[in-house]
Amino acid sequence: MWQEYAIILVRGIGLGSVYALMAMSFNIVKVSSGILNFAQGNMLVLGGMIAYAATAYFGALSPVIWFLVMIASALIIGVVVTIQGYLTLLPLSHSEDQQSWLITTMAVSIIIGAVLLLAQGPNALMVRSIFPNIPLFGMRVPAPFLLAIGLAIFWYFALQLFMSKTLVGLAISALWQDPVAARAAGLKVRRLQLLAFGISGLVVGSTGFVAAPIITLASDSAVAYVLNGFVAVVIGGVASNTGALIAGPLVGVVAMLATFKIGGEFQGLFSMLMLVAILLIRPQGIFGDTAARRV
Amino acid sequence: MTTRTSTSAAYTAEPNPTFKLRHLLDRSSVVQLAIGIAAMVVATIVPHIFGISYWIGIVNLAIIYIVASVFMSLLLVDAGQVSFGHGAVFGAAAYAVGIACGMHGLPFPVGVLCGIVAALFIGILFALPALRVQWFYLGFVTLSAAMVFPQMLFAFNEYTKGISGISIPLAWMSEDLPIGISTLSLLVLILGIAALITSAVFPKTTLGRRMRVAAASPEAAQSLGISPGKMRFLAFIIASFGTGLAGVLYPPTVGFVSPNAFHLDMSILFFFAVIVGGKGQPLGTMAGITLLYLVPNVFLAQLVEYRALVYGIVAFVVMLLMPSGVVGGIVRWINLRQKPQTMPALQFSQIVDNVKPVERVKDENAIELVDVRKTFGSVVAINNVTLNVRRGEIHGLVGANGSGKTSLLNVLNGFTRIDGGTARINGKEITGLNARQVAKLGVGRTFQTPRIFEQLGAWDNVQIGLDAKLSDNPTLVSPAFVGNLRDMLSRLRTESIPHGQRRLLEVIRVILTDADILLLDEPAAGLSPDERIAFAALLRDLRDKLGLTIVFVEHDLDLVARVADRVTVLESGSVVASGDVASVWNDPKVKPLFVTVRHA
Repeated sequence: MWQEYAIILVRGIGLGSVYALMAMSFNIVKVSSGILNFAQGNMLVLGGMIAYAATAYFGALSPVIWFLVMIASALIIGVVVTIQGYLTLLPLSHSEDQQSWLITTMAVSIIIGAVLLLAQGPNALMVRSIFPNIPLFGMRVPAPFLLAIGLAIFWYFALQLFMSKTLVGLAISALWQDPVAARAAGLKVRRLQLLAFGISGLVVGSTGFVAAPIITLASDSAVAYVLNGFVAVVIGGVASNTGALIAGPLVGVVAMLATFKIGGEFQGLFSMLMLVAILLIRPQGIFGDTAARRV
Repeated sequence: MTTRTSTSAAYTAEPNPTFKLRHLLDRSSVVQLAIGIAAMVVATIVPHIFGISYWIGIVNLAIIYIVASVFMSLLLVDAGQVSFGHGAVFGAAAYAVGIACGMHGLPFPVGVLCGIVAALFIGILFALPALRVQWFYLGFVTLSAAMVFPQMLFAFNEYTKGISGISIPLAWMSEDLPIGISTLSLLVLILGIAALITSAVFPKTTLGRRMRVAAASPEAAQSLGISPGKMRFLAFIIASFGTGLAGVLYPPTVGFVSPNAFHLDMSILFFFAVIVGGKGQPLGTMAGITLLYLVPNVFLAQLVEYRALVYGIVAFVVMLLMPSGVVGGIVRWINLRQKPQTMPALQFSQIVDNVKPVERVKDENAIELVDVRKTFGSVVAINNVTLNVRRGEIHGLVGANGSGKTSLLNVLNGFTRIDGGTARINGKEITGLNARQVAKLGVGRTFQTPRIFEQLGAWDNVQIGLDAKLSDNPTLVSPAFVGNLRDMLSRLRTESIPHGQRRLLEVIRVILTDADILLLDEPAAGLSPDERIAFAALLRDLRDKLGLTIVFVEHDLDLVARVADRVTVLESGSVVASGDVASVWNDPKVKPLFVTVRHA
């Protein structure tokens, strides 16, 4: 009996690490530009597709090649997201209507989904992990769950270091505090925002690749990752990576519990109920800022 | 409201009673409405003449989607509520008809009733989180609901027939009537035209204006006695009712309902249609549905597998090229070609023309503060302030930035609850009242950054003051002035009102609410020296002829000296001096402050 819960826990935390990584990736773009990149879910799927393509091309990858392709995947998605960010920011510079990003990021998501559907049909792709299952608490845990946890911890520390210790990272934080003052202080706002898009691409690109065996790689699976990533953002508090690191696994475990105990079709319902509950009880999230002044 | 009963009306006629269409709809809306209705009628009739049933169905469905998008637009543009789950409201209505008529054989009118109840139910579910959270938080709640909706249709398959769907035995509705079109097409057309008219007229109704104010600035709404929560709730109710009406016509049009038809994609389509078409433009949703639904599904029907791709690319490209949408972009382009509008200066001297001076009891206090205290954490914003403002006096609040002037105004109009002391306005204790309740006591206020909303027309920004009128008495302000102002502003776009004039319009808005105490936060900032002289005269007229009590925060000490009867000087949240201008001016405690203020 307890073993079943151990499985739920480990897999939940593993899958939840993917949500945590999605949340961190949301955060950095949100901090720099206030934009929530809806296309990020499909960027994650694209990262997984790279893993699929690499296996198809090279056969079973050796760990060294795997590591190199992971970096390549991060870089490729980083570049793609930077280009997407450039296009998203384009109309914002000359229009007073500042909400076009809602449509453009969703539209990019739809376009990627449509291309995936054209390229490989409605079925999900399967990627096999090159690493053997790892014995833990007397059961065998597929390695990608643990790798995803490791990746989440890695990106957490890397981003914390970047945001608090480097000048560029501090400049991006300054955009969140006060974009007008940041611009007045001479920061190259657009360039910093593009950099933030790029970094978010690195995060999802590497995540998609590492977690490829445990996420659904299909043309229509992206929305669920966007949604769960967002739930992690809300629970953790917008712009808080510490919050994301804790909230992601929480969402993952609850989703796993719902799937195992009630049935997969209710997983979405539980994510929604969690979101509603946290918004009603503590809208600023666990680690979020308190409400701003009104007048 | 004892004081107001003494204010007998100087005029009995309503200001400018002649109705002009221009006052209701601007030219662009009238043209768009005409094009939209004509297009709908032609698109419905032509396929019937040629008897092409495929096209009849397509046009009906497109109009149904336009109706749903119109109400999506009401929610998004008028009420400022982001919903990515509008398809679930639509789907609930359609499924209710399916279950009632398709599975239980009930007549269509009963199905319609069920459908509207189902739509309202989902709408209320969405409205509840909207009372607490806004913007994309709300967007995600509704988005997840839209995702879950078809999953629930699968999960409860014993009530919904799950994946196999329900076929709808309502073929009689598609048979032609003697007038040449079918019952269904007639219903769809009527609903479509009604929706278009609603989209053009609703922003010009009292409710529409109130919703826009509540969406643009909840605090301004409260100071006008509007409850933002109530506005949001109403918006969800109206939007789901309208969407429900569209949803119940879906099953007879398509002949079949299944969970796959009501995926998230449908919600996204309605949302896209509003924005890609052009937010707030009567023809916008029509353009949006044409581009995003008709073009990929019908005109490119042979490329069926590229449908989603075309759809995404169209939305993306339109937003890159025209961030304010197709119709919005065209309207902007036309406006840019016209010569820029300049606003004539407001002639305030008219505002109290021909008004009999109002007699108010002079010897009472309009505002009484005793030992009022407000702290934010360890910061003392208001430190034991005791202050009286007599009825019919102009009272200046001066002090350095951060000395507590605006905080004091916030207490006076109920935005901030005090931690200690008592505050009475018009003889009523206001501790424990919210801003709306204080507004109803006769307190009007303007803000440091003027709350003139570009979401509203130029005149509508003033009209919301009349909407918030506290008594049935005709306004004391000269009707000729109101009429002229309305004529002038009806021709203007809100964007072309200069900053300084915006403050004055906000003051006029507040005067029109019948408030007898005005709280003005830096009303003269941004005015030219000549405008300041005119403004000072206005304040005196408001006091002498309308008998208003005015508290104003101002940095221009010359202006204060010119119009204020009494002055209160604040420093670090405390009153340094209070009294008539001359004595405060010569107070040894105040002098150094003035010097620093004037040279800062």
